[in-house]
Amino acid sequence: MSSALATARPSSLPGTPSPAVAPAPRIVEIAPDRAQRRARPKAAYAVVIVASLGVLMLSQLALSIALSDGAYQIDALQTTQKEQSRTVQDLSEDLGRLSSPQNLAGNAEALGMVQNSNPVWLRMSDGSVVGAPTAAAGGEGVMGAAGSQVANELLAGVPLVTQLPPDQAQAAANAAAAATAASTAAGVPAAAAPAAETSPVSGAAAGSASGAQVVSDSRIPAPTTR
Amino acid sequence: MTRRSHRRRLLLGALLVMALVSVFVIRLVDIQVVRASTLNEEALDKRSISSDVVGMRGDIYAADGKVLAASVMRYDIQASPRMAVKNQSVTPQQGAEQLAPILGVPATDILASITDNADSDFLYIAKKVDVPAFEAIRALEIPWLTYKAQPSRTYPNGAVAGNLTGFVGSENEPQAGLEISQDSCLAGEDGSEVYERSEDGVRIPGSEVVTKQAKQGDDVVLTIDSDLQWYTQQTLAKYAQKYGARWGIIIVQEVKTGRLVAVADYPSVDPNNVNAMAQSADPAWGSRAFTAPFEPGSTEKTLTMASLLDAGLVSPTTQVVTPYRLQTEDGADVNDSEFHGTLDLTATGVLKESSNTGMSQLGLKMPATERYDYMTRFGLGQPTAAGFLAEDGGDLGSVTDGVPNWDAQTNLTTMFGQGMTTSAVQMASVYQTIGNGGVRMPVSLVAGCRLPDGTMTQVPSTDGTRVISEQAARTTVDMLENVATKGWLASQVEIPGYRVGIKTGTAQQPDGNGGYTKSYLVSMAGLAPADDPQYVVSVNLADPVNMNTSGATAPIFRDVMTQVLKANRVVPSGSSSPDIPTEF
Repeated sequence: MSSALATARPSSLPGTPSPAVAPAPRIVEIAPDRAQRRARPKAAYAVVIVASLGVLMLSQLALSIALSDGAYQIDALQTTQKEQSRTVQDLSEDLGRLSSPQNLAGNAEALGMVQNSNPVWLRMSDGSVVGAPTAAAGGEGVMGAAGSQVANELLAGVPLVTQLPPDQAQAAANAAAAATAASTAAGVPAAAAPAAETSPVSGAAAGSASGAQVVSDSRIPAPTTR
Repeated sequence: MTRRSHRRRLLLGALLVMALVSVFVIRLVDIQVVRASTLNEEALDKRSISSDVVGMRGDIYAADGKVLAASVMRYDIQASPRMAVKNQSVTPQQGAEQLAPILGVPATDILASITDNADSDFLYIAKKVDVPAFEAIRALEIPWLTYKAQPSRTYPNGAVAGNLTGFVGSENEPQAGLEISQDSCLAGEDGSEVYERSEDGVRIPGSEVVTKQAKQGDDVVLTIDSDLQWYTQQTLAKYAQKYGARWGIIIVQEVKTGRLVAVADYPSVDPNNVNAMAQSADPAWGSRAFTAPFEPGSTEKTLTMASLLDAGLVSPTTQVVTPYRLQTEDGADVNDSEFHGTLDLTATGVLKESSNTGMSQLGLKMPATERYDYMTRFGLGQPTAAGFLAEDGGDLGSVTDGVPNWDAQTNLTTMFGQGMTTSAVQMASVYQTIGNGGVRMPVSLVAGCRLPDGTMTQVPSTDGTRVISEQAARTTVDMLENVATKGWLASQVEIPGYRVGIKTGTAQQPDGNGGYTKSYLVSMAGLAPADDPQYVVSVNLADPVNMNTSGATAPIFRDVMTQVLKANRVVPSGSSSPDIPTEF
C-alpha cells in the first residue's frame, strides 16, 4: 500500500558511513485537499474483494469436499446395492425352485394330500350331483408310487417336509412342544409360537448335494409341520 | 565496489534467470505440446477404467406368469498361482483347505492345480458358482483370488416345459428350443462404459462416459400353463413307464384360440441338467410333438370323414357293408386290425369300429386330389404357425405340383392315416378345427415378446381359416361323441357331467424299408365338452410293449381331460350325447 505522505529521507547511499552528526531532517507536511482525499482508494474496497475471494475459495473447497464425500457415499451405496441385488437373486432362485410344481406336489403328497381323480359336480340349478362320489385312496396322487417323473436338478438335496433329518425333526418337535406348553400356560394359541425359526435346515443336514448346491440349500428354510 | 562490477553482476544474474526460464519453457513445450497426447493417454489409463455393462438375456414366462427360464448371475473364481505361492498370509495350502468345503472338491485337487501352474498368473478355481458360494468365498478374503460375474441361465421348474424352452450352453449361447427360435427377442447386448477412479478405487462422479449402450433382452411369454404342463408331463411319464412306451406326447390345445396350453413330451429334458438325457434310451433334447412326425393311424379317419361330410358325399347314417378284407380292382388290398365277419355299418359305425375297409369304401367317393386339398387345408404337410425350432410338417406321400400321385394302396391308406406322416401338433390342430365349427386357428405356442414397458410384440395372428362348414364340423363332433359313448373304451373315457368326443388310433410304424414293424404308435385324440368344445387333448404313445392297443391311451386321456376341465372351470354339459345308429 502506498502512503499518501511524502517523507524526505537523507540522501545517503547504503554502505556509506553516516556522518557522526546528522543534520535534523526537515519535515515538510503536504496536506491533501478534499478532492485528493476523495480520489484516494478506500481500504474497505480491498477488504471486500479479499474477503469475497476468500469466501469463494472456501466455498469451492467445501464444494469439492462435499463432492468427494458424495463419491464415497455413492460408491458405498452402489456396493450395498450390488450385494442386495445378489441377495434378491439368491432368494428368488430359492423361491423359484421351492414353488416349482414338482416340489409343491411332492410335499403335498408326502403330507397325505391326494387329488381325487373322480371329480363330482353339484349342479346349482336343480341341486343334483353329477358323477359318482368316490373317496380318493391314499397314495393315489398325481405322483403316487411312481414318484416325481418330471426332473428338476435344482431340487436335488431339498428335503420334503416329511424327510427332515431326525435331529431337525426332533428339534422342531421339541420347539413345538415347548411352544405348546408355554402357550397353554399363557393361554395363547400354540400357532403363534414361531417354531419355524428354531429349526433351519443346516448345510450338513441338507444332504449329499455337491458343490455350491450345499451352501445354497442351507439357506432354504424348512417348513415345520405341526 | 565499482560501478562496473555491479553491472556485471546484474548481467550474470539476468543471464542465469533467462537460462533457467528457457529450461522451463523447453520442458513446458515438451510436455504440453510435443508429448502432450501420449502423456494424456497415460494419465487417463491410470485413472480411467473401461468396464462392460452386461445386457442380460430376457426371461421365458408361462401364460400363468411362472418363470420357466430366468437369467441369473454366476461367479467365476479365478486365482493367480504365482501370487499364491509367494503369499505368506494365506498359503495355497490354507486357501485350498478353506475353499474345498464350499466348492465340494478335495483340497488336494485345488492345491495341485495351483502348484502345477505356479508360474501362471491365471487359473480357474471354479466356474459359475452361485451367490451363496460366492459370498462365502469372498468372505474368506484370500488375497490371490479374483472374481468375475458371468450371466447364466436357470430353469426353476426343471423339466416342466423343458422340451419347449430348450437350454443354453456354457457361454450362455442358445442351443435348443425356444431359446434359439426366440433368440431375437431374448438376446441382450452387452454395452461398455468408461469412468475415472481415484487412487483408492472410488468412481469420480460425473466421469462416466457410456461408450456403448447395453440392451437388456426382452421376455418371451408362452401360451403354456405351467401347472397343467407339469400335470400332463407327470401323467404321461407315469403311464409311459407303466406301459413300457419308448416315448410319448400329450397335447392340450384351446379350441377357440388354437393356443397350446400344454405340450408334454416323454422323455423330457431338464434344462438344468442336459447331460442326464444322454442316458435315456430314446433321448430327446427338443419336442417330438413338433419335430418328429409319425404315421398317425386311425385318428386321421376323423379328417377324412369331416371332408366327406363337408363335400356332402356321406351322412352319419350312410350305409357301408364292411368286410374284414377289401381288395380293389386296381390292386389295393387293405384289412381291418382284427378279424370280423362282414358288418353292416353306418358311417358313424365305421368310426366307432375304426374299420379300415369301411373307411376306404367311403373315402373312394371323393377324388384323391380333392381329399388331398382337404388335408392341406387342415394344415397337414406343412409346419404349423407355431414355428417351433426344426418343426417338421410331415409328409403326404408322393405329390407333384399339389396333385397327389398316390398308388392305389396309398390312396386307401391315407384315408386312415398310414402311408403319410403328421406331427402330433398337426393332428391336435385337425381336432381343434373340427371343434371350432370348421375354422382352423393358427397354432400358437408363443403369446409374444414382452418389452420392458409391458407392450407385447410379435403377437401371433389370430385369423382363422374356414376348412369345412359349420354343419359338417358339428356332425363330425356328434359322430365322435358316439365313438366315445359306444366304442370299446366307452367306460374308460367317460367323464361324468361332460360330453366327450374321441377317436383312437393304433398305427403301425414303418421299418424304413417300405414295410412295417411289429411296433405300434397308439393314440387318442378328443375334445370336450362336446356340446361346445373348449379343449382338444391328444395322447400318443410309441411302442407301449405292455399294452399295444389304444386302450393304453384311454386312462391318460381321461386323467388329462378331467384335469383340464377342472382346472379351467369348464361348465359341465347340460345335455347328453346324440344317439346315432352305428349299424343297420
